Amino acid sequence: MSGAPEEDFVKSVKAAHPDVVLSAEVLRRRLISAVVKREGLLDVAKSLRDDFGFTHPVSCGAVDYPKENRIQMIYYLMNPKWRFVLTYRVDLPRDDLKIPTLTQVWEAMSFHEREAHEMFGIEFEGHPNMIPLLLPPDWKGGYPLRKDFKGEGAEE
Amino acid sequence: MTKPFIEPDIMRISWGPQHPMSGQTRILLDVDGEKVHRIIADLGFTHRGIEKILENRTFLQGIIPMERMVMADTPNIGLGYVTAVEEALGIEVPERANWIRSLLCEMARINSHLYAFGLQAESTGYFPAVFIWTTVDRAVILDLFEELTGARWSLNFFVPGGVQKDFPEGFEEKVAKGAQYLRRRFEDYWEAMVENAIFEVRCNGVAVLKPEDAIRLGATGPVLRGSGVDVDVRKDEPYAAYADLDFEVITEPACDVMARTKVRFREIGQSLNMMKQIANEIPGGPIRNRVPIFARSKPGEVISRVETARGEMGVHMFTQAGMNPYRVKIMSPTLRNMYVFERLAELDEMLMADVPVVVNSIDPWYLDSDR
Repeated sequence: MSGAPEEDFVKSVKAAHPDVVLSAEVLRRRLISAVVKREGLLDVAKSLRDDFGFTHPVSCGAVDYPKENRIQMIYYLMNPKWRFVLTYRVDLPRDDLKIPTLTQVWEAMSFHEREAHEMFGIEFEGHPNMIPLLLPPDWKGGYPLRKDFKGEGAEE
Repeated sequence: MTKPFIEPDIMRISWGPQHPMSGQTRILLDVDGEKVHRIIADLGFTHRGIEKILENRTFLQGIIPMERMVMADTPNIGLGYVTAVEEALGIEVPERANWIRSLLCEMARINSHLYAFGLQAESTGYFPAVFIWTTVDRAVILDLFEELTGARWSLNFFVPGGVQKDFPEGFEEKVAKGAQYLRRRFEDYWEAMVENAIFEVRCNGVAVLKPEDAIRLGATGPVLRGSGVDVDVRKDEPYAAYADLDFEVITEPACDVMARTKVRFREIGQSLNMMKQIANEIPGGPIRNRVPIFARSKPGEVISRVETARGEMGVHMFTQAGMNPYRVKIMSPTLRNMYVFERLAELDEMLMADVPVVVNSIDPWYLDSDR
């Protein structure tokens, strides 16, 4: 490989999955963003782990954009050799928030996906243990980190 | 929490949530006699919604709720947020302010690790005296904090654009003197803990986390470095004054509880060196660039990563035109290490008496994992 590993990675990930990787760019030094289509989420994730060396999971979370009717799910990954953070993203329409769980690729995403589920209502298909992580088990107040959350508490 | 399946002949013990060792959390243990088969961490007892609170505060107001995440380590946590704000608003920091920031961060790391030693010594059940020692020695650091910032715990000292105050007269000598005192105490700790026969028996070879497992399970901080992986944000992506300071990433090859304790020990030694170096070599100049109180941001996103005492903390901040962050995602180190803790019972044989030792070896701070 030549040049900065970030640039090389951006080029090669686009070349490896041209159909599903919508964009891959260097946001700043040591921070890269890659957006994929929902259909390719699992396959590209497996290839990121096995071919590109992103074996170290960091975290995952989401951002709500009600005006654009989408929620962006973001996985934060690190490559222990290159030491930069990849934000691996997928855009979901707000009324259809189903994605396959990536715990089958990075086991440690379990806690973070549970958090994203209770805070944003994203459905992770096939998650082994989908129970609330931080919120109380009888919570019925909606999804706290969505922008339209009013804060009504646990009452129905 | 729903009831996960319990196998026959297995007893489930609920430990907590009333402050089992270092915070409010509940740990469920599936035990067969003395052997622990499975650990389940039930987090969320101290969830305060910091990420949501930050969305409703201006950039400057956000510093205060943010620092409540880890009270023993407020400068490191605050720095993660402040550097994110600086990048989002395009603010430059004077060089002297960067050095003062590094000084406070290293002092906080010592403070936090001392607390971790106290708990680790207590969890081995042998000498609560070490907890008293560390608590008393912490006062050296806290007195220095108080003299510089006016506060002992939650400093709120870093602001976008620099730091609040310059050193008072003669502060550099006091820092050097404090570092010298702590170094002398450190030899006592090393003797009382690492070289003590009982401590060795309780910690050597317990809860081994192999390097490949540590990477796969997303461990961070001293847990990861205790497994021999040299990841440290201060080196990988230098912030504040770390590019100019002399230090190296500390790793231990043994991968057990003792290795994690030793990493913390050696990190303190290094932090003391850095304290001395900063006291001797700190450059002059201004300490703060003025920033409007109601600064407005442009649409965009930034990530800042800092190495706190417990590991890497990331702040991913999304901004839109306005005075508040649009969304702040905090990547908390304890949450990552708690997952490792859950899996440790399956990776290595663990007895019930080992559980307090192992949970303190990851140095959990549940306010940090719950946010």
